Amino acid sequence: MTHVRVAGAALVVAALAVPAVSSGSNVGVRAAAKKPKATVITMSGSTSVAPLAAKLAKRYLKQFPGTVKFKLAQGGSDVGVADVAKGRVTIGNSSRDPKPSDPAGLNFNKIARDAICVVTNPGNTVGDLSQSTVQDIFSGKVRDWSDVPGASASGPINLVVRTAASGTQDAFQKLFMGSAKIADSAAQKASNGLVQEAVKSDKQAIGYVSLDFARGLNAATFKGTACTLRDAKSGAYEGTRNFWMVTRGTPTGPAKKFISWIQSNGNAAKVISTEWVPLG
Amino acid sequence: MRRLVRSTMSDKRAERMLGALASVVLLVIVLMVVSVVSKAWPSFAHNGLGWFGSGPNVDHQLADIFNSPADSSHYVYKLSAWPLLYGTALITGGALVIGLVFALLAAIFIVEFAPRPLRRVLEPVVRLLAAVPSVIYGLIGVLVLVPFVGNQLISTHRKESVIYVVQLSGNSLLVAVAILTVMITPIMVALIVVALRAVPVGWREGSAALGVNRWRTVWTISVRAVRPAIIAAAVLATARALGEAIMLSMVSGSVGFAPNPLDGLTFVFEPTRPLAAAIVEGAEGFSVKPYGQTLYAFGAILLLSSLCLSLGAHYAKRPLRRFGLTP
Repeated sequence: MTHVRVAGAALVVAALAVPAVSSGSNVGVRAAAKKPKATVITMSGSTSVAPLAAKLAKRYLKQFPGTVKFKLAQGGSDVGVADVAKGRVTIGNSSRDPKPSDPAGLNFNKIARDAICVVTNPGNTVGDLSQSTVQDIFSGKVRDWSDVPGASASGPINLVVRTAASGTQDAFQKLFMGSAKIADSAAQKASNGLVQEAVKSDKQAIGYVSLDFARGLNAATFKGTACTLRDAKSGAYEGTRNFWMVTRGTPTGPAKKFISWIQSNGNAAKVISTEWVPLG
Repeated sequence: MRRLVRSTMSDKRAERMLGALASVVLLVIVLMVVSVVSKAWPSFAHNGLGWFGSGPNVDHQLADIFNSPADSSHYVYKLSAWPLLYGTALITGGALVIGLVFALLAAIFIVEFAPRPLRRVLEPVVRLLAAVPSVIYGLIGVLVLVPFVGNQLISTHRKESVIYVVQLSGNSLLVAVAILTVMITPIMVALIVVALRAVPVGWREGSAALGVNRWRTVWTISVRAVRPAIIAAAVLATARALGEAIMLSMVSGSVGFAPNPLDGLTFVFEPTRPLAAAIVEGAEGFSVKPYGQTLYAFGAILLLSSLCLSLGAHYAKRPLRRFGLTP
């Protein structure tokens, strides 16, 4: 009996593991968006935007109780963009800028900005990094900490970056790297949290994360400005990217009201400025 | 008489119900394979046999596929997935070989040598280990093993020796194989224990009566008799190992690199990326059609190999039934 049970379990695990992973991110969205009613705003997409979107929705409901309902799913920026293009959700959340390959007819509404920090192990306090130093390090031109001015670590540099599909990767490439290519040898992690953990446990590592995840790490100053919420808000810190709420065509009805509330209302700005950079 | 007829009727009804359920399961599996393979097809069709070969950097190719233009006639599909296939084979094979040795010895100990109280504890523990979710193993790997290997086992000199090719940070073949071994060994132990128990006492007593010691008896009679079951256990454990994604994505290094055995000891410290981990890590890009199809192609490879392995295990166990050894 045990025999059969164990064998059966192994077989099922082996057969189901792959498709379960592949479809997981979309299931919630489809179920949520099956019957779109006028008063329900459904959202999916970026995992970086999701915490902000949840807080905003909560505050919005406090101000206008009972007018709308929110359903929020995640899945990554590209999932959000694809979902909204196909009409599966009202709003797709994206932490990356519009791409030429995006479906036509989408409207990217900017809602906030977010800082990306270059981070090292707390035991390795690098000083100020210029853009060219960052490019040299991440492109593999400089491969030893002793060649980095101000670094207290020595030995080879371990690069920790994000996978090609990540919105943070996209933003880092644009903001910090320009046309320089990230070295082939860099370890590509699937989430901000994994980068954070890899850098925390390796004295020779350097990576980049959303400001939220820089806690417990040494966030390097970039072009003379510290990577802090205050400097990001003042506009002095240059490594900031946009958060978008994507709609099909110009937003209408409750979605329009919600997005313009985020963009112009003082209460929304207060919510955003807890951990992100409000517009304007 | 009436009662009898009625009972056979309900028997038939139950039989039909169960048959229908079983067919549904079969149908689901068939549909799954068909849908995965059909979604994966463009990736294979555009590359032919080159898909399985080695070529330019696989990470660049995946990035190019991800950045395909929106126009479907200009989709990029160029891919040589060898480093991923090789990484999968290395990790799975390594874990299987090491795990099988441990599992066989552990099973022999549990069945033949362990005192009764110890056995009562060991068996549930083994079953429990087999059920620990893989993300737990992944966490242990990321938080404990990877930093330990990276900071203690790999010398700066070793890191510098390969710095222009690959970085050694502790995310390595070694850690991946070690954790995967721990994950699949309990399954094999459980299966082999059951098989060893089914060996008739008379066979062993016969051997003991000839003056053969206990260890030799186990090795030459029991283990030899259950060889097919051992193969079946190994095959099922391999299927489990192939599908492992989360844990491997966390510890294996996340870079499409093919570790080189010619590097000597450095080889085991080199990172790699198996297929299942590549799917998890790429999940954010599913909406980019050619990229999604590429991930489906990885899935198709894993799915088909798992199915083949399951069938293989079924046939490997056949001789057991002939001896009347099936528990």
